[in-house]
Amino acid sequence: MLLELRDVGKTFSGLTALAEVSLELAQGTTMGIIGPNGAGKTTLFNAVTGVFPPGAGRIVFEGRDITTLAPEKRARLGISRTFQHPRLFKSLTIEENVMLGRHARGRAEFLATGLRLPWARREERELRARALEYLDLVGLADERQRLAAELPLGQQRYLEVARALASEPRLLLLDEPTAGLNESETEAFRTLALRIRDDGVTLLVIEHHMRFIMSLCDQIVVLNFGRLIAAGPPAEVQRSEAVIEAYLGRDDDDA
Amino acid sequence: MLARLARADWNRLAWPLVAAVVLLIPLVLGDDFYLNVLNFVALYALVAVGLCLLVGYGGQLSISHSAFFAMGAYASAILSLRWGWHPWAALAGAQLVSAVVAWGIGAVVLRLKGHYLAIATLSFTVIVGVLIKELPALTGGLQGLGSIPPLAFGGFEIDDDWRFYYVVWPLLLGLLLFALNLVDSRLGRAFRAIKEGEDVARLFAVDIKLYKIKLFVVSSVFASLSGSLFAHFVSFISPTAASVMFAIEIILMLAFGGFTMIWGAMLGVTALVYLNEYLAPFADYKRAVYGLALVTIMLFFPHGLLLGFRDLALRLWRAVSRRHIGEAG
Repeated sequence: MLLELRDVGKTFSGLTALAEVSLELAQGTTMGIIGPNGAGKTTLFNAVTGVFPPGAGRIVFEGRDITTLAPEKRARLGISRTFQHPRLFKSLTIEENVMLGRHARGRAEFLATGLRLPWARREERELRARALEYLDLVGLADERQRLAAELPLGQQRYLEVARALASEPRLLLLDEPTAGLNESETEAFRTLALRIRDDGVTLLVIEHHMRFIMSLCDQIVVLNFGRLIAAGPPAEVQRSEAVIEAYLGRDDDDA
Repeated sequence: MLARLARADWNRLAWPLVAAVVLLIPLVLGDDFYLNVLNFVALYALVAVGLCLLVGYGGQLSISHSAFFAMGAYASAILSLRWGWHPWAALAGAQLVSAVVAWGIGAVVLRLKGHYLAIATLSFTVIVGVLIKELPALTGGLQGLGSIPPLAFGGFEIDDDWRFYYVVWPLLLGLLLFALNLVDSRLGRAFRAIKEGEDVARLFAVDIKLYKIKLFVVSSVFASLSGSLFAHFVSFISPTAASVMFAIEIILMLAFGGFTMIWGAMLGVTALVYLNEYLAPFADYKRAVYGLALVTIMLFFPHGLLLGFRDLALRLWRAVSRRHIGEAG
């Protein structure tokens, strides 16, 4: 297993955001997380990336317990993410954002960069060349010298993907990647996501757009009030009573 | 086009030109008074460039650079005067002392952010000032320390403005280039990422704690080196070196030149050192005027005076060229 969550729980000042969530994600697969607003989806992402360590349970990545590992160390292990509301470095150029995404792949520190040692300059050139490849992939290569802040929202999402991919992650977490995109943009994003999956990156995706997520993912898990209420292949989950109830509410006549 | 020009990397292009001009100045301008002023410009600039790295790029406001200036000066003085070290060895030893102290202090105070960090570093400056005054056996107390030996190459002593000029300016130019290289690298990107959002930077493997501490050490050693050079050049050092006012003056220099521009820091230093010289008769009002200037700049040009003017000029230019296009169409 690439990623395992065992009974993960998290409370924020008494409010339960996550409770006893267990799931397993195999290398090379794609898992979707759905659920109503406030169901704990982003909290789960934060637990996996290390923003807030979980209050209970264990998180295991490639056989290693990372429950309390710092976010920067998890990033080095190969976990990366995008955000629901893009959080780019706005004062950096588009290219610099992607190069920063690749920070873990650089070795040059204070002395080597300050003295501009030949190997540090070579490393910087390589970093720039690799960044260009990822920018090409998402179609932003021509605009790489512009500031990230100048991009419209749709393209900011693509830049976030390029920044995350630049770290060559084993596991990529996408937080509502199609929010704010129209149908054709969503389809374009699906093509990109499939390509990333085919390159061997395991995907964990939060999404409200049902057609998008059902067609992209091998497995779907459903969260409601911080609890995992269903898990399985898309077709199975769509038929699940618990899921229909969570989304549509219980029909009182049947109660 | 214009926007691209404004963002181009002029730094490394400008450096050789500035270096040549700076090294030729004494040959043209044989005047001792001006050389003396320029020597102090270089000493201040060393502190300002160091602070520029920390504040402008790393986003960590520190009011402790006068303390590290004093630490470098006193350590150099004590090592050479009391322990009989060769001035160059004393200078090197002093930087080591400052670096170790900066690491220790940085590891603690850099957990704080914004105003809290500013207050913590300010407290450190006050403590260093008090220690200097209260340890007369080591530091000479309020009298300070005199007859500190000058730096020397064999028997050739660096004891006049000419000679010192050709020690301090090449050193400054070298460290300036170091700073320019540093900010234009993966580290510079990491610093700016830390300044903009620590949480996101961490998710991309930037070890923010370690980088902040290392940046603080480098930045503080710039100030400490300036202090050591000062001590060996002026041959006298007093507790006023560790004053909070001095630390704030350095911040004002950055405010003049632009916090995020290393060259701007140099210009800010030059402007302020000359202002200090010409406004000497009004020294009584200095604090009030500087305080007012700092508040005004921070209110209207939060990125610094120079960058503020640049942005203003860019906006004017765009407005004018837009109107021009409008008329043509």
